[in-house]
Formats: sequence, C-alpha cells, structure tokens
Amino acid sequence: MPASIKKTMPHIVLMAYVVIILFPFVFVVFSSLKENNVEISQAPFAFPKALYFQNYVDAWVQASIDVYFWNSAYLGISSAVLGVLLAAGTSFALTRMKFKFTSKLIYQVILLGMLIPGNVLFIAQYILMMDLHILGKHWALFWPYTAGALPFSVLLISAFMKAIPAELEEAAIIDGLSAPGLFARIVLPLTVPALVTVFIINFLGNWNEYLLASFFISKDALRTLPTGMVGFRDAYQTNYALICTGIVFSVTPVLVLYAFLQEQIIEGITAGSVKG
Amino acid sequence: MKNALRNPASYLMFIIPTIALYGLFFLYPMFSSVVYAFTNWNGLEETKFIGMANFETAFGDSNFRSAIINNMYFIVFSVGLQVPIIVLLALLISNVKRFKGFYKTTVFIPSILSTSVIGILWGFIYDPDIGPISAALKFFGIEPIYWLADSKWAMIALLLTNAWQWVGFFIVLILAAILAIPKDIDEAAAIDGANGTQRAWYLTIPLIKPIISVVVMLSIAGAMRVVDIVLVMTNGGPAGTTEVMASYMVNKAIKYGDYGYGMALSIIIFAFALVFTAIYQLTLGKTERIEY
Repeated sequence: MPASIKKTMPHIVLMAYVVIILFPFVFVVFSSLKENNVEISQAPFAFPKALYFQNYVDAWVQASIDVYFWNSAYLGISSAVLGVLLAAGTSFALTRMKFKFTSKLIYQVILLGMLIPGNVLFIAQYILMMDLHILGKHWALFWPYTAGALPFSVLLISAFMKAIPAELEEAAIIDGLSAPGLFARIVLPLTVPALVTVFIINFLGNWNEYLLASFFISKDALRTLPTGMVGFRDAYQTNYALICTGIVFSVTPVLVLYAFLQEQIIEGITAGSVKG
Repeated sequence: MKNALRNPASYLMFIIPTIALYGLFFLYPMFSSVVYAFTNWNGLEETKFIGMANFETAFGDSNFRSAIINNMYFIVFSVGLQVPIIVLLALLISNVKRFKGFYKTTVFIPSILSTSVIGILWGFIYDPDIGPISAALKFFGIEPIYWLADSKWAMIALLLTNAWQWVGFFIVLILAAILAIPKDIDEAAAIDGANGTQRAWYLTIPLIKPIISVVVMLSIAGAMRVVDIVLVMTNGGPAGTTEVMASYMVNKAIKYGDYGYGMALSIIIFAFALVFTAIYQLTLGKTERIEY
C-alpha cells in the first residue's frame, strides 16, 4: 500500500464517524430554520430556502421554552452551587482537620453512594418527596440533585485538597485563623480549579436530568427543559421545525460551555465515572 | 498551636449538612427500599409483610421477563459490538498526527447532552414520513420503515441511538489510556520491525486491558440502568417490545401506585447489576495491574 493511502485511511474512517456524530445537529439546525414540514420532507438534507427565524420566536414565547429554560438554569445552577460548597466544606474537614479515623470512615461511606445506581433509589425517593410534602415542587428536584452530586464532588475535591501543602495552613493558624476562616480564606481560593470542574459537571447533570424531573414535577410551569421538551414534542407532534428549534435552545448552552471548558468537562466526567 | 484543626464544633459544622443530605437521600431510600420490597404497600390497603411475594410476581410476569431480556440486548450490544468499535476508533485516533484534538472533542459531544433531547432528536431522524433516513432509503427505492413503531425495528433503533450517545465517551476514556503509554515501548517495537497492526494487537491492546475492562463494566452498569431513552422514544412500546427493567419499574410503581412492588423491582435491578459486574470481574475481567 502506498504511504499516502496508509496515512489517509484512518482519517477517512474517523471523518465518517465524525459525520455520523455531527449530522443530526446539522440536520436539526437546518430544520429549525425551515418554514414547515413540507420543506423539511421535500429536501431533508438541503440548506433552508430562506432563513425562517420566526420558529425561534414562536418556540421561545408560545411554546414556553423560555419558562423551561429558566427553570433548568436556576435549578441547575443553585443546586450545583450548594452541592459544591457543601462538598468543599466536607472535603476540607475530611482531608485537613485532625479527626483521621472518623474522617476515613465518613469518606468510605460517602463513596459507597457512587456504587448505587440512581434509578434503584428512584421509587424510595419518590415516596420520600411525598412524605416531605415537596412532591411537585422545585424542592423535589433541588434536594435530590444536590444530594446526588455529593459523593462524586467529595471524591474529586478531596483528592485536590489533599495535595495542598500543610505549611500554608500552619502559618495561617499561627496568625490566629479558626478552621472556618482557614477554609474560607486559604483553602477555598486554592481549590477553585477543582470547584469549577465539579460545578460544571454537576450543572450539566442537573441540566440534563430527565427521570426525576418527569415524575417529581407535574405542573407545566415548573418543568425543566428535558421534560418540557418531551411535552413540547408530544404537543407539537406535527410541527417538526418548531421541535427542532426547541432542541437548539436546549443544546446550545451545553455546547457553549463545552466550547470554552472542554478539557475540564472531559476530565471531570471521565474521572468521576472511572473512580466510581 | 493546631487547636483550630482539632475543634470538634467546626468539624461538625462542615460534616453535618453533607451527612444529613446523604443519609436522607441515599442511605434512607436504600434502607426503605429493602424493607418495603417485602410488603404489599400500595398507598390504599394496609401495608403488610408479604415475604418474597413481590419477587415471585416479578419473575412470574412475562412482561418483566421480556424486560430483563431487553436489558440483556443492551448488554450484548454495548459489550459485544460497541466495545470492539470503541477500541478500534480509539487506536485510530491515537495514531493520527493531525486533528487528534478535533476528533477527541467531537466524538465526546453526545455524552454531555440530555438523553431526553437525544431521544427527541433521533425520534425525528427515524420519522418515517419526513425523517432523513426515510428520505435516503427512498432514494434507493426502499419503502419507509416505521423504526419506532415496528416491533421488528424498535429495539434496534434504540440500541443504535444509545450507541450514538455513549461510544464517544468510551473512546475518550480508552484514548487517554493509550496516550499514557510511554512512547519508547512503541518505538522499540517499530524498530524491531513490527507493523502498525501488530503493534496495536500485541502491544497496545494488552497494555490497555485494564481500562477496556473498566469500559466493559461501565457498559454493563449503563445497560442495566438504561431508562430515559426508552421512556422518551418508545415508552416501552410497541406492545412492550422495548420495555426495560427500569421503565417497567417506573411505570408500575408510579402509574399504578404499587410502591412495594416497585421497590422489589429496584432491588432486583440492583442485584442484577452487582451479579453481572461480579461475574465479569471473576472471569474475563481478571487482569493484573500493569506497570510500565
């Protein structure tokens, strides 16, 4: 085989795979800019005849994608922030404070949580939400999301905090800082890179979560994007252009995040899965 | 001088919120699932201990048995078919000089998206009337296939979508392991006259066996967990042909209020996941740690 063919063969295979991955996105973006089903079905692979942005306005306002979007955004962000802060505090106590034995025990118990598949707890959590009288409210997603991210977050942040040299905190303690002060002023700022990674992974998880969101929330105005989108599809079954617009709204924020922080996202997600 | 780090009050302040949430949302549900799995709790009648009855009902229900088989399809497909493709593509990416980063970034994209959105998106692609697959088939004179509504095709359609979502994630996992192998090993083999295929087969693959084994285990775990994609794309249909254990559990427990039964099902799912992982660990997955 000539060397040039040998060199291009892998690229041909890989490019074919890249096309398979990217094709659905291109198709959805094109379709979202087409006027109606007729135009999509007549030329599914073609560029839109005229860029029809009305779909974006319609989907955002009439189909209340805006409501789902903000619900997802504020739930995703608030629960990820709380989760990261709790996990950071706990990791600090577990790795830096002098309660070695207790800390080891607690750490092991928390990591056990990564072995339990999420949907095994689903029914019991549903009942728990009923008992707490928060079923159907945003709290019913907020708390499980926050709690669900803890094992992974503690794992990653602890690993990072262990590596901070002890001299720093000794100096700070001699200067009279208490443990919370040490945490807030010295350790937390040093841990920011790990916190950002964990925050993003948790945020993505919350933003994408479907199972709990679809059974713990029933009111349309409280739905998040993944469940709202499914309802939207079922309601507008016949208008594919509009559905594609909805998909674009839901996927864009994730892709934008990914564009800026791909290294952190890839590392965080793969590390979480392998260690669990 | 280190009293600040021995202050139990501060320690508790940092630990208690996490432990409380963890206890309430992990330990307590796990515990209550195990307890209520042996009861007839349905929110209507008085809750009674009924021994193994829920488990007998589950395995006696032909719908649940076919759901188990469908989970097996997911396992067989993702381990038997996807893993070789994943390894091959990861090897290809690790060997190219140009576009390495581009390939890695692109193939990873589907794994950061919501499964429900992917389900909607692929539902559209599979659409017999206006979907692109139908259009392509029509070009070759083939009648449109009702991918998601035809019991012959629905399962395959789901498996393909699931593969589309997760293959890239595993490629990146394996790619990282391949790139971590010191270069000189590969160069030494090349100098000794081994060609690319030989080096991949006799050198790289044995060295990345531990991570392949991780990928297999994650695939099994994922196949046991699969539910979103089914609920969104087919909701178990047509006529139960794509029902998996978790979708069966969710529908039974929430729609019919059979909580005790639902919890028994969740214990079964957990047990299956543990057993499969253990079997794999004890048989094919046995690998020693590799030191370079």
